[in-house]
Amino acid sequence: MKRLKHKLMQDDGGIDFVQLIVGIMIISIATLGTFQSLFYGYDQLDYQMRYRKALSIARGQVEYWQGRIHTDFPNAANMNGNLGSPRVFSLENRDPTTSRDDIECEVAYSKIEAIPNPENPADIDHWDIRVIVTWYEPGKSEDEGDAPNTIELYAPMVPATL
Amino acid sequence: MRIKKIGLERDDGWTLVEAILSMIIMSVMILGLTIVLLAFREHLDRSLAVRTMDQYGNNVIERLTHKLRNAVDVVVRNGPGATNKIDIEFLDPLTLDFTTWEYWRADGNSIKVNNRRIDDYFPPLRLKRGEAYRIMKFTMTPYGVDTPNDFEGADRFQRSDSFIDATWDIRFTIRYERTNLSSDTQSWFYEKEYYNRVYMRNMNLIVRQGITE
Repeated sequence: MKRLKHKLMQDDGGIDFVQLIVGIMIISIATLGTFQSLFYGYDQLDYQMRYRKALSIARGQVEYWQGRIHTDFPNAANMNGNLGSPRVFSLENRDPTTSRDDIECEVAYSKIEAIPNPENPADIDHWDIRVIVTWYEPGKSEDEGDAPNTIELYAPMVPATL
Repeated sequence: MRIKKIGLERDDGWTLVEAILSMIIMSVMILGLTIVLLAFREHLDRSLAVRTMDQYGNNVIERLTHKLRNAVDVVVRNGPGATNKIDIEFLDPLTLDFTTWEYWRADGNSIKVNNRRIDDYFPPLRLKRGEAYRIMKFTMTPYGVDTPNDFEGADRFQRSDSFIDATWDIRFTIRYERTNLSSDTQSWFYEKEYYNRVYMRNMNLIVRQGITE
């Protein structure tokens, strides 16, 4: 205690090397954190845009199958769905000068199921449509074991009465 | 007496090296803070621009989709640039014996319905100098005509007329531009497409046949 007091009395008010390093480290960590949050914000904006586009594609597909059931009834093969062989749609062209960084999504639909009328099970009440859109964000892939982003939409439809 | 002498001889000021070092550190800190603050302001400005576009783009798309779902017919004509004029026919829901029309078109930087802007707050009233929102595309095309996917282009020729006549793709593209007019702003532009497909159910319902035939 006596030694510490003596040491403090000898302090001439400057900063020593340890204080300098600690200060620089604190500033570096704060700056790094701030920039990381900034880039995270930009990434989230991009992700939101892709999510919305994927949602548009899913809605478009649901609308397509609703139209088909309504007026251009699908054949048996079409009604079975394509979960095993989804179609590939373009989700985003990031750099227009190259196609290597383009993001694609897989669009599939499950078997279009006939839902019986609860009052008369022999009749079909409506058809159930289920569309699934999956894609991988930049830097993620199926090979790396990453989980894809998925949007699943459901809609019912009845055939037209014409 | 000896201690007092030592105390008088103590030199509590800064040395030149300390002063220079602290100035350098302070300069780096202020520079870093300025860069971070500018980057944050830029990010906020961009985020606001994108949110403004999203709000208007989704508003136009959702309202047009809603109208088309309730419509019995539609006529699409060419408008200025990459835009279409869309005339939508509705059946009077009460009497079912006459129809009314709604006319959609792109006019300058906004969408008008029956000559009235659908949103008085787009483009925003208080734009900064050099800022602008432009409508680059406002089209409605039959299924498979304007699509980036080959499958849909080919599938179009296998579909029935009743399906093709009632299935439309709406594409609405807005561009935000900011021209560098002063040293503290950056030039930047961002273009975004809003898309929806709509199947006009009423075109293929018995109620429409009763009216138009």
